[in-house]
Amino acid sequence: MCSEVQSAQDYMRDPRKHYFSPYMDNGGTTVAIAGEDFVMVASDTRLSRGFNILSREQGKVFNLTPKTMLASTGCWADVLTLNKVLQARLMMYSHEHHDTMSTTAVAQLLSTMLYWRRFFPYYVSNMLVGLDESGKGVVYHYDPVGHMEKLTFSAAGASVSLIQPFLDNQVGAFNMEGVDPPKMTKELARQLIHDSFVSAAERDINTGDGIIIYTITKDGTAEEKIKLRMD
Amino acid sequence: MATERYSFSLTTFSPSGKLVQIEYALAAVAAGAPAVGIKAKDGVVLATEKKHKSILVEEHSIIKVEMITDHIGMVYSGMGPDYRLLVRQARKVAQQYYRTYLEPIPTPQLVQRLAAIMQEYTQSGGVRPFGVSLLICGWDLDRPYLFQCDPSGAYFPWKATAMGKNFINGKTFLEKRYNEDLELDDAVHTAILTLKESFEGQMSSDNIEIGICNSQGFRRLTPAEVQDYLANIA
Repeated sequence: MCSEVQSAQDYMRDPRKHYFSPYMDNGGTTVAIAGEDFVMVASDTRLSRGFNILSREQGKVFNLTPKTMLASTGCWADVLTLNKVLQARLMMYSHEHHDTMSTTAVAQLLSTMLYWRRFFPYYVSNMLVGLDESGKGVVYHYDPVGHMEKLTFSAAGASVSLIQPFLDNQVGAFNMEGVDPPKMTKELARQLIHDSFVSAAERDINTGDGIIIYTITKDGTAEEKIKLRMD
Repeated sequence: MATERYSFSLTTFSPSGKLVQIEYALAAVAAGAPAVGIKAKDGVVLATEKKHKSILVEEHSIIKVEMITDHIGMVYSGMGPDYRLLVRQARKVAQQYYRTYLEPIPTPQLVQRLAAIMQEYTQSGGVRPFGVSLLICGWDLDRPYLFQCDPSGAYFPWKATAMGKNFINGKTFLEKRYNEDLELDDAVHTAILTLKESFEGQMSSDNIEIGICNSQGFRRLTPAEVQDYLANIA
C-alpha cells in the first residue's frame, strides 16, 4: 500500500481521485506499569506500513533523562521529530537551569508542545514514564494533541484496545467485587507486560517480532529483550 | 510612520565606553527611597521606606513590596511607574513558566528572565532603560535567594544589600552587622536598623513596608507585626 499518494486500500479507492495524506501509520504498541519505586515501560519492535514490515528491530522507547523515558508510536516520522525537538528542549532547560528536568516538568512540557500543533498534530500516541521527585513510579498517557493523564499503568499504540482492558482487569481490578488491586512488583509487571504483548501479537498484524522492556529505578535503567512470533 | 523614526536605540556608547543612559538610570535609582534586603539561614527579608509627600496621601493604597508568586517577592528603589510594569511582567513570566513545566519558577530563572527584559530596554529602538533597581527574594528547593536587578540588565546575588538614598552607608552598616548565622527574626531587626540609618523622622508601621520569604512562602508583614519589631528596637 502506498500511503504517500492514497490513503485507502487498493481495492477500495476510486481510481479517479487523488489525495495526499501527510500521515502514515507505522504501527507499534507500548505498555507501561508503575510501582512504588520503579516504573517499567515496554514496546514491541515491529515497524510496519500496511501489510508490509519495515523493520523487526525498531524499539519505540526513548531515553530523556536518567529518570524519564518516552514511549511513542504512530507515524514514525512524527515520532522521530517529536523526540528530536523534545531532546532539544531538555538540553535548553538543563543549560538554563544547570539541572536536569524533573519527570513532572517534562510531562507538562510535552503536553504544551503537542497542543502547539493542535491544527496539524503530531500523529503520535505518547506515554511518558519515570520517577517523580519523591521516587515514585508514574505513567503519563497522552492523546495526539496533548491531553495528559497521570496513571499507574497504561497501554498505547496499535494494540491498545486489546491490551488496555487486560491491564484494567489485572492491574486495576476495575469494577470487580471483592478483589483488590495487587501490590505491584517488578516480577508481576514483567509478567503482565510479557503476557500483554504475546496476546496482542496473536491477533494484531501490526504488533510482533520482539519486545524491549526497560525498568527505571533510582539506581538506573535495566533493559531486557524478548522474542515474539514473527508472522 | 512616526515609529520608523525611532528604530534606533536611544542608549548609545560614549567615547569612554560607558552607556550614559544607564549611568543616569542608576542615578535615578540612587535618588529613590531606600530599600534593603537581607538573607538569613531560614528566610529572606525585604524592607523599604514608604514616605508620603503629603499627609493627604492614602497610605495603605500603595504597596511597594509585591508578591510575584507564592514563593517570590520583590521591592525596588527608583521610579514607581517603571516598577509597576516590571511587577506585571515578572508575574506573567512566572505564570508562563508554570504553564509550560507545571512547577513554580525557580528564583534564579525568574531573575534571569526579568534581567533579560531590562536589558532589552537598553538596546531597543525608541525606549529608555528602566529607572529602577529591583530586589528579588525567593525560597525554593529548601534554600533562600536574594538578587538585585539593575537597569542595565545585570543581576547580582546578595547575602545582604541596600539600594536607593544613602545606599553606601547602608551597605557599610550591613557589612558590619551581617553574619551567616542570622535567623529571619534577627534579619528583620537588622533590616529595620539599616533603614533607620537614613530615616528622617519617626519610623512607624505606616511609613515602612516589610516582606519576608521562608519555607512557607512570601508574605508582607501586617502593620501589627511591623509595630512589634519597631517596639523592639526603640
